[in-house]
Amino acid sequence: MLERRPPLLTALLWLAALALVVLAIGPALWLLLIALQPPGTDLSSVTGRPTLANFSAAVDSGTLSWPLVNSVLVTFGRAVLNVVLAALAAYPLAKMSFPGRNLIFVLMLATMMIPEQVIVVPMFISIVNMGLYDTLLAVIIPFSVSAFGIFLCRQAFAAIPDSLEEAARIDGATSLQIWWHVMLPLSAPTLATLALFSVIGAWSELLWPLIVLQQRENFTLPVAVNELIGQFASSPRTYYAASVLALIPILIGFVAMQRWLKPQMFAGAVKG
Amino acid sequence: MRGSLRHRWFTPYAFIAPAMLVLGVFFLWAMVQVVWFSFTRYTPFQPPTFIGLANYQQLLSSERFWSCMLNSAVYLLVTPALIFLSLSAAMIVESGIRAGKWLRLLLFLPVVTPTIVAAVGWRLVLNPDQGLVNTVLTGVGLPRIAWLTDYPWTLISAMLVTLWKGFGFYMMVFLAGLLAVPRELREAAAIDGAGRWGVFRLVVLPSIWPVITLVFIISSISALKVFDELFVTVKGVPIEHQTAVPLIYEEAFGRGNFGLASAMGITLFVIILAFSLVNLRISRANQANQGAA
Repeated sequence: MLERRPPLLTALLWLAALALVVLAIGPALWLLLIALQPPGTDLSSVTGRPTLANFSAAVDSGTLSWPLVNSVLVTFGRAVLNVVLAALAAYPLAKMSFPGRNLIFVLMLATMMIPEQVIVVPMFISIVNMGLYDTLLAVIIPFSVSAFGIFLCRQAFAAIPDSLEEAARIDGATSLQIWWHVMLPLSAPTLATLALFSVIGAWSELLWPLIVLQQRENFTLPVAVNELIGQFASSPRTYYAASVLALIPILIGFVAMQRWLKPQMFAGAVKG
Repeated sequence: MRGSLRHRWFTPYAFIAPAMLVLGVFFLWAMVQVVWFSFTRYTPFQPPTFIGLANYQQLLSSERFWSCMLNSAVYLLVTPALIFLSLSAAMIVESGIRAGKWLRLLLFLPVVTPTIVAAVGWRLVLNPDQGLVNTVLTGVGLPRIAWLTDYPWTLISAMLVTLWKGFGFYMMVFLAGLLAVPRELREAAAIDGAGRWGVFRLVVLPSIWPVITLVFIISSISALKVFDELFVTVKGVPIEHQTAVPLIYEEAFGRGNFGLASAMGITLFVIILAFSLVNLRISRANQANQGAA
């Protein structure tokens, strides 16, 4: 250990930490407090008696129930597919040699350099041509796998000793069985991290669902809340409450998954 | 040749096929298409017809386009602020302060918060008449600022949301970098009489310098791709006061000019590609260094 920290420095550290925490949770906390205030126009005070009236108004408007279901389906579907498809593709890339391996690798690397924002027009046209416009599949399928996820899994699989795989082969296991019984269990932390990243991304996504969803019943929560801002311009507290409601499920999910939030996983996220 | 003789020839392709199908159709093929579309006149009612470089010529003479690109360039200024805030946060968490793990978790919450919720919260805080920020500003005798309506404050408001939502993510990246700094190096420097600042400047900073450059590139790329923050935080602001991606969205899905929007997309792609290539170069160089060490 380095020399002991002088008390003044410790105090400064705590102060800075406190400032960061206020910054990090301040806006969302303020939103919650304002949403808990009785309906009215004054948005600067939170001293009134807290009430759930705005929350019931948001729920009663009926515009949130389907979006909640849709968001859960989209988020869950995308997380599962991201893990499964990435882990499938990563296995041969990490453990087998076959013709075209390098080409496939380079092509996948290339997709990391193509931002979705640049290709929204052809993506949209493909979705329309496939007859998927205004369906949840349109939100799920194009982002059901990422090159980033494949690389993350490939790294984890490469670290698994070949001897384990060989032992399983000698016992007569097929490639799929080895993938399921050896590769997946031994890289569970990586897969969980990938799932966590997918969940965070899918729950928050706005641009793409905004483009491919049309009817209210098909909206995801971010699109629905965005719509509410126009609808309840006169009673903003309703959409403040709606925003808080959109935040609660992901907070619960995050707290449940937070033990996979390890800094080490972010080293890979940036190397990409 | 690990295991190459023990699987059937098509096994690897079968494993890769689903992922490759998705990436192929929605990214690679889409990229080819967007290049083609950028040379065409293409609307929802008219199939693409080749018009050469006309879209690009139109872009170069379009004031809206230049103004949005300029705003995108300004938006890049969020990057140094992000690096400062996230590196400070990482160093505080890593300093051995009690409750460091809780602190890390709390500071990551904005990353988890959907951008739309973050934007609604910030709209409230930045509300011109009743928001907290203006209340504080007027309290200390400064003028009220129209954060949500007046350019360039609108751009700054969106940047604040980007900063808020992003610093927890890069804090984790820096934490990974800081944890990789060899403890013996720090101790050796301390024993040799380097003070706290000396240890930071001579040992920590050089060790995490590659991480800082990478975060710089990655956060610059995300700043160029920004959409949600502008779309919600400063809802209804004229498009020429926004950035590249909102312009593409508006051109394609507001006005139905798929061709022109594709040309804008290609322009943005070239700029982002430049950043990506620098990134690739740096990470290759880093890997080479690590290999040598």
